Amino acid sequence: MPNITVDISDLQVSTDPDSTIITYALGSCIAVLVYDPVRVAGGMIHYMLPLSETAPDKAKVRPAMFADTGIPLLFQSMYAMGCEKRNMVVKVTGGGALYDDKGLFSIGKRNYTVLRKMFWKAGVIIKAEDVGGAKSRTARLHVGTGRCTVTSHGEEVEL
Amino acid sequence: MITSEQVVARVKKLPTLSATMARLWALAKDDRASAADFEKVIRPDPALTANLLRVANSAYFGLRCRAESVRQAVTLLGLKRVCEVATSVAFAPVIPAKLPGYEVDASTFWTHSVAVAVFSEKLAKELAVGTPDMLFTAGLLHDIGKLVVGAFVADEQGEILRRVRQGTPFVQAEREVLGTDHCTLGAMVAQAWSLPPAVAWVARWHHQPADVPPDVDGKLVGLVHAADALAHAMGFGTDSGELAREIDGAVEQKLGVKVRRLEAVAGSTLDAIREMGSLFASASGGKR
Repeated sequence: MPNITVDISDLQVSTDPDSTIITYALGSCIAVLVYDPVRVAGGMIHYMLPLSETAPDKAKVRPAMFADTGIPLLFQSMYAMGCEKRNMVVKVTGGGALYDDKGLFSIGKRNYTVLRKMFWKAGVIIKAEDVGGAKSRTARLHVGTGRCTVTSHGEEVEL
Repeated sequence: MITSEQVVARVKKLPTLSATMARLWALAKDDRASAADFEKVIRPDPALTANLLRVANSAYFGLRCRAESVRQAVTLLGLKRVCEVATSVAFAPVIPAKLPGYEVDASTFWTHSVAVAVFSEKLAKELAVGTPDMLFTAGLLHDIGKLVVGAFVADEQGEILRRVRQGTPFVQAEREVLGTDHCTLGAMVAQAWSLPPAVAWVARWHHQPADVPPDVDGKLVGLVHAADALAHAMGFGTDSGELAREIDGAVEQKLGVKVRRLEAVAGSTLDAIREMGSLFASASGGKR
């Protein structure tokens, strides 16, 4: 069963039903997991920061670093494989936080807020999510079945 | 609970940084030292020489042209900077293949160390607070205590993790279960290795920047505190406690840390961290 690893600021898509798309060490970063059961295809992005205006030059070479440039690219990559928006199941995980009373490190929260705004505008419904909290996560999407899991603190849960 | 005798025995057993390093640091403090002096010290160690050039030529250090020799690297980067590069190169082979108890392999630990070093320097620039002396090295070596405490954590990891899951910050859980933490032990390792005081300060206080004694450079400690938190937030973490760490709000008033500035630092440094992270295999002697 081939594993396809999604690095930080990267996205991957696959139509191989035997493959598992996986990303590690989601701290404040967010992974969006997309699955089309009709086309039998999956995709995942591991973005780091909310807005490309932070570093427009970086956004050109690494669009998957940012929510606003990376998420549209993930959906376009799914469409390019013949997926349709109405069939797509979308799940979200990550966006962790530190114990940070003043919110100085609220990157996870900002990552999540931007994603919600984008999905609201585009009419995308989040089927399931596991976000926030002081934990780092590993996310897996099994392309053949659409099964998604999240592992943190040594425990795996279904998403 | 760990006894102080156990700790001392463990620190003694730890592999030390190359003996060359102590001589290099002595040179770095000597205003009369030249590139030739430096080369004389480092030349007998061919692995250190080769890896020093590899790291010195990485994009992060921004050399105007490629350094083909140690002497050239010293001319282009300056003696102090080359000492910082040499320390990072000497540090890689000391990291055990797997840190027991932290569920971390050597390459992940190295990447975390590099990420904190790079974030510390970039933060200092982004916040325009000036770059304290030794910032890169102190950032790189901030977690050296984990090389010692890891051996003890292995038995107690379940209990530490249980407390972390219940909301206890990781360092506090270490203290509660082990009776000490990687910060206290880090300062001991720094002393045992005769590292410069800045390294010991940061190893000791990077989780408690508000408690630094007056003779310690608070700005240096605050920058590494923020950089360490940023590294964990960005997924360059090391320990099973992951994000369970407290942020000292004072870094906002003292250093001007703000979320957007942290984002700017994180966005601009990913490639440098990856590049230096990937140099680990060669810097560690390709043993892993």
